[in-house]
Amino acid sequence: VSATAWAWLVLLFPLLGSITIGLGFRVLPTRIAGAIGTAAIALAFAAGIATLLSLLGEDPEARHHASSLWDYASVAGLDIKLGIFVDPLSVFMVLVVTGVSTLIHLYSFGYMQSDAGYRRFFAYLNFFVFSMLLLVLAGNFVLLIVGWAFVGFASYALISFWYRRQTATKAGMKAFVINVVGDIGLTLAAFLIFRELGTFEYSEVFEKAPHVFQTNEWTITAICLLLLVGAFAKSAQLPFHTWLPDAMEGPTPVSSLIHAATMVTAGVYLIARTHVLFELAPTAADIAAFVGLATLLIAGTIALVMTDLKRAIAYSTMSQIGYMVVGVSIGAYSAGMFHLMTHAFFKALLFMAAGSIIAAMANEQNIDKMSGFGRAMRFTSIAMVCGGLALAAFPGTSGFFSKDEILAYADARGGMYVIFTVLGYLGALLTAVYTFRLIFRIIPGRPCPEAQELIDTGHVHHPDGPPLNPATGETEDADVGFPGPDHHIAEQSWPMKLAMGVLAFLALAGGLVQVPGVDDVIGAFLEPVWEGSPLAAIHPSDLAEWEGLGVGAAISVVGIAVAWFLYIARPETPALLQRKLRPLHTLFVNKWYFDEAIDFLIVRPALAIGRFANRVFERFVVDGLVTGTQETVRGSGSVVRAVQNGFVRSYALLLIAGFAGLALYFLLTN
Amino acid sequence: MLNSLLWTPLAFGIVGLFLPKRAIGWWATLGAVVTLGLAIAILVGFDSGSSSLQDTVDVAWIPGLGVDYSLGVDGLNVFLVLLTAVLWTGGTAFAAFREQERPQLFFFLMLVAETATLGSFLAQDLLLFVLFFDLMLVPFYFLFGVWGSDREDGPSAAAATLKMIVYTLIGSLLMLVAAIATAIIASDGGHLTFSIAELQRQGLGEDSQRWIFWFFAAAFLVKMPAFMLHGWMPDAYRAAPLPVLVVFSGVLAKVGAYGFLRVVLPLFPDATVEFQEAILVIALASILYGSVMAFTQTNVRLIAGYSSIAQLGFITAGIFALRADGADGAILQMVNHGLVVAPLFVIVAVLVERTGTEDLRAMGGMALRAPVLAALFLIVAMATLAMPGSANFIGEFYILNGLFEEKIVFACIAISGVAMSAFYALRLYQGTMHNRQPDGAASREIGWRDGVVLAPLVLCILGLALYPQLILHRTERSVQQTVAGVTGGEAPEAKLANEMKAHDWEVTLTGR
Repeated sequence: VSATAWAWLVLLFPLLGSITIGLGFRVLPTRIAGAIGTAAIALAFAAGIATLLSLLGEDPEARHHASSLWDYASVAGLDIKLGIFVDPLSVFMVLVVTGVSTLIHLYSFGYMQSDAGYRRFFAYLNFFVFSMLLLVLAGNFVLLIVGWAFVGFASYALISFWYRRQTATKAGMKAFVINVVGDIGLTLAAFLIFRELGTFEYSEVFEKAPHVFQTNEWTITAICLLLLVGAFAKSAQLPFHTWLPDAMEGPTPVSSLIHAATMVTAGVYLIARTHVLFELAPTAADIAAFVGLATLLIAGTIALVMTDLKRAIAYSTMSQIGYMVVGVSIGAYSAGMFHLMTHAFFKALLFMAAGSIIAAMANEQNIDKMSGFGRAMRFTSIAMVCGGLALAAFPGTSGFFSKDEILAYADARGGMYVIFTVLGYLGALLTAVYTFRLIFRIIPGRPCPEAQELIDTGHVHHPDGPPLNPATGETEDADVGFPGPDHHIAEQSWPMKLAMGVLAFLALAGGLVQVPGVDDVIGAFLEPVWEGSPLAAIHPSDLAEWEGLGVGAAISVVGIAVAWFLYIARPETPALLQRKLRPLHTLFVNKWYFDEAIDFLIVRPALAIGRFANRVFERFVVDGLVTGTQETVRGSGSVVRAVQNGFVRSYALLLIAGFAGLALYFLLTN
Repeated sequence: MLNSLLWTPLAFGIVGLFLPKRAIGWWATLGAVVTLGLAIAILVGFDSGSSSLQDTVDVAWIPGLGVDYSLGVDGLNVFLVLLTAVLWTGGTAFAAFREQERPQLFFFLMLVAETATLGSFLAQDLLLFVLFFDLMLVPFYFLFGVWGSDREDGPSAAAATLKMIVYTLIGSLLMLVAAIATAIIASDGGHLTFSIAELQRQGLGEDSQRWIFWFFAAAFLVKMPAFMLHGWMPDAYRAAPLPVLVVFSGVLAKVGAYGFLRVVLPLFPDATVEFQEAILVIALASILYGSVMAFTQTNVRLIAGYSSIAQLGFITAGIFALRADGADGAILQMVNHGLVVAPLFVIVAVLVERTGTEDLRAMGGMALRAPVLAALFLIVAMATLAMPGSANFIGEFYILNGLFEEKIVFACIAISGVAMSAFYALRLYQGTMHNRQPDGAASREIGWRDGVVLAPLVLCILGLALYPQLILHRTERSVQQTVAGVTGGEAPEAKLANEMKAHDWEVTLTGR
C-alpha cells in the first residue's frame, strides 16, 4: 500500500466517524458515540504512522507524492482536482494532529460525559480533525482553502457549542467572520498565483515560482502578504487575534485541541509550506517575523494580568505561536515545526489541567478565587506543573529545546535578526512569570472553599441554585445541558487521567528527540522539504546552541523565581506594582484596546452604513423614485387613476388572450 | 422531447382545474414530478462535447413576421431547466402539504408559471423569449395579489403586487420594443427573422447596439433585481405567499441573468464590451448594497431577499467579466443560488409557523428540539455564504477569478461581499436557531412533510458540493462559444493563456 493510499485513509476515518455520529445522533448510546469518535481518530493516527513508515522506506529525495481522486472543478483552464500532497511536512503535521487529537478525544470522553450535547460534540470534534487533516494534506491551493474554511467552521460550531449562551454565540460569530477574512486573503493569494503561474497545484507552483518571480517583485510580495492575512487570522496574530480569547467560551477540550494544539498552528504550517514563495519575498517574510514578535510580546504582557484562567492560557498560546511564526519566517523551519509539536503537547496538557480545575470550581474561571488545589487535586496539579515547566522552558523540558532552537537560529542568521533572539528571550522571561503566576495562585496556599469541599467530602462542588454564566452572571439556559449535572475532574475519570498522563510525559520528555549535538530526529526527517533553500542551510553550531540553551535556562529559572517572589514570598507586591504602574496595567488589562479599535474602525461604520441604507437611502431614494412617479401620475387626475388601476389587470388579461390567440393561430396554420 | 417538457405543467394545470379540491395538490405535484423526470431525461441525453443547440424544435409560427416556435437546450440553459423543474417540484409539494384557498386556481397558476419559465429558458426565438418572459408575470401577479398577505407594517398585497408589476412591466415593454427593433434593423429591409442564431449571424450596427443593449439590460436588471431597480422587491417579498416565493426567488431572478447570456452577449457584442464596466459597477453596487441591507434587516424574508440581490450581483459580475471562467462560474452560481434560496424560504416558512413572527429579534433557540431542522438549516446557511467546500464557493471562485484576471480592482471590491455574506448568513442562522428561545415560540422538529421537501434540496446542495464538475463540464463548451463571440479573437482563451505562460516559463528556464 502506497503512502498516498494511507494518507487517504487518514482523511477517511475522521470523516466517517463524524458522519456516523451525526446520522446516528438519535440511536447511538452516548458512550458508544464517544467511543466511535475516539476510535476514528486513533485509527487515523495509526494510518498516519503507516504513512510515515511507508515514506521512511523511500529515498529521502523521493519522499513527496501527489494523488488525486477526481476532477473537482476543471474547466476554462482552471484545473482543480481533489488531490493531496504527501511529504515529510504533511506527514509530520498529520502525526501531531491525530496524535494530540486522539488524547483530547479520550479526555473529552470523560470530561463531557454529563453534557446533553455529547454526541453532537463528538460529531463536531471528528469533523474538525477531518478538516485539519484536509488542510495539511491538501495538494493545491483550492483544497487548502477548503480545509482552511472547514477548520474555521468547526471552530465556530464548537465555540458556540452551548448555543443558548449569548456570549458563546457572539464569540462564535466573531471567530467565524475573522476567519472568513483570512479565507479571503488566501483566496486572493490563490487568484494572484493563478494569474502569474497558471496553476493551483503546490508542486507546480513551487517549481515555477523561482523562475517567474524576481526577488521582492511586487507580485510575489503581494502574494505572500495575502497568504499572511490568512495565516494571521487563523493563528491569532496581530491584528486578527481578538477572536481567540473569546473562543474560550467553548468547552475546555475544544480550547485544548482547536484553540491551542492544532488549528491555530495552521498559519505556521502555511508559511512553512509556502516557504519557497516567502524566500522570494524577503520583505514579506520580515513583516511576518516582526508581526510574530509583536504578538509574542503583547500577548505575553496581557497574559500577565488576565484573571480568567482559560483566557490567560489563550494569550499564552498567541504568544507561543508568535515564536513559531518568527521561526518559520526567518528560516528556522524545522525549529518552528518542532516548537509547534512541543507546544501542542504542553499547551493541550495545560488546558486539560485547567479544565479539570474549572470543573472542580463548578465552572468558575477566575483565578482570584482559586487556591490550594495542590492538596485537593494532586494529579491535576502535577500535570499542570509539568505543562507549566515546559511552557516556561525549564531546562530539560520539551519547550526548553524547541524555543531555544528558534532563538539560536535567529542569532546564527545574524544581522538585524539578532533582535529576534534578544526580544525572544524577553518574551521567554514574561512566559516564565505569567505561567508560574497561574500555578502559584492555583496550586499552593490555603484551599479555597471548593478545594476544601473536595478534600473533605471527595465530591466536586455544586453551587446552589441555577447555574450562572461565569462571564456575565446571567442565569444559564439549562436545557442545552450546560453545565451538565456532573462535573468531571481527572482524579475521578480514568480517560482524562490517561490522556493527561501521556501528555505530561511528552511535555517533559518530548524535547529529547532534538538535542543539539546529540540527535536531530525532526530536523533530519523534515530536511528534504526545505531542499534547495539557502535559509534552511544555515545551522547554528552546537556550541552556539548550547550557549543559547544556557541563557534560556537562566531566564526560565529567573522568571520562575520572580513569580515565586511576587506571588508566594511577597504576595502584596503585585497590588503595589499595579498601583505604581497604573497606565501600563490599564493597557494590559484592556488587552491593548484592540477590540475597541476594531469595533470603532470597522464594525460601527459598517453598521452605520447599513442603518443609513435602510432608513434613508431605501426609503427616500429607491422607494421615492417609484412613489414619486406614482404620486405625480395620481395627481394629474382621476382619469389617469382609473387607467392606472385597470391597466395592469387588462394588460395581464390581454397578454393571456394574445398568447392563446397566437397559439391557436400556430395550431391552425400547421 | 422539449415540447413535452414545456407543455406538461400546463396540461396538468388545465386538467387540475376539473379535479376535486382534495386531489389537486397531489395532481399538481405529480405534474411537477413528471416534468422533473423529463428534465432529467434531457440532461442524461445531453452531449457535453457539443456547443450547439440540442433537441431542437423549430417550426415556423408566424411566417409573415419571421417568428419561429423554436426551442433548444445547450450548456447555457440545460441546468437552469433542471433547476426550474427541481424547485417547482419542491414548491408545489410544499404548497400541497398546506391548506390553500381556491386550490384549483392556485395550482393552475403555479403550473402555468412553470411552463412560462421553462419557455423563457428554452426559447431560441427572440419574440418567443419575450412572450414567455412576459407570460411569467401573469401567474405571479395573481399568486402574489390574491394569495399574498396584507401587512400591518407595509402596503397591502395588492399594492405590493402593483408596484412589482409596474417595475417589471416597464422593463418588459422596453424589451418588446428592443426585440422588434433588433429584428427590423438586422433584417435591413430583407427577410425579417427573430431567430437568435440568425440575428447573431446578421449582426447589428454599433450605434443600434448601444441603445438596444440598455433596453434589454433594463428588463433583465429589474428582474434580478439589481441595485436601484430593486424597489419592488421588499414589498413583494413580504407580501408573497411563501410556497410561491420558493420558486419565485429560486428561479425568476435567474431568467434575468440568463437573458444576458442568451440574448445580450450574442446579439450586442460591441455594446457588451463597451458597457462592460458600467454593468460591472451596477453588479458591484448590488453586491455591496444587498449585503449591507441583508445584515441590517430584521425581517427574515428580506434578509433572504437582499442576500439574493448580492448573489445576483456576483452572477452578473461573472458574466460581464467576459471570460469563460467567469461565465462558467455564473451559470454554476445560478443553479447554486436557486438551490440555497429555495430551501431557505421553506425554512423561513417552517420557522414562521413555529414562532408566529417574521422578526429576527423575536426568534431564537429553535435548535434545541429540532436538531434535524437545525442541521439542514446549517448546511443551507453555509452554502449561502459560499463556504469553501460548497459548490457555491466554486461558483464564486470561478466568477471572482475571471473578474480578477480581467478587472482586478473590481474583483478586490467584490470579494468584500464574501465577508459580509458570512455575517448576514450566520446572523440569520444564529438569530433563529441559537440564543434564548422567546416566550410563545415552540421549538418543534420538522415533520416528514417538510422533510421530504427540504431533504432532497439539501442533498442536491451536498451532491453538487462534492462534484461541481457535473455542471461546469457540461456548460463549458457553450459558454466558451458565447464568450468568444463577444471578445472575438482579441482576448485569449484561458487555456491558451496558461499555455502561453507555461511557454514563457520554459523560455525563461532555457534562457538562464
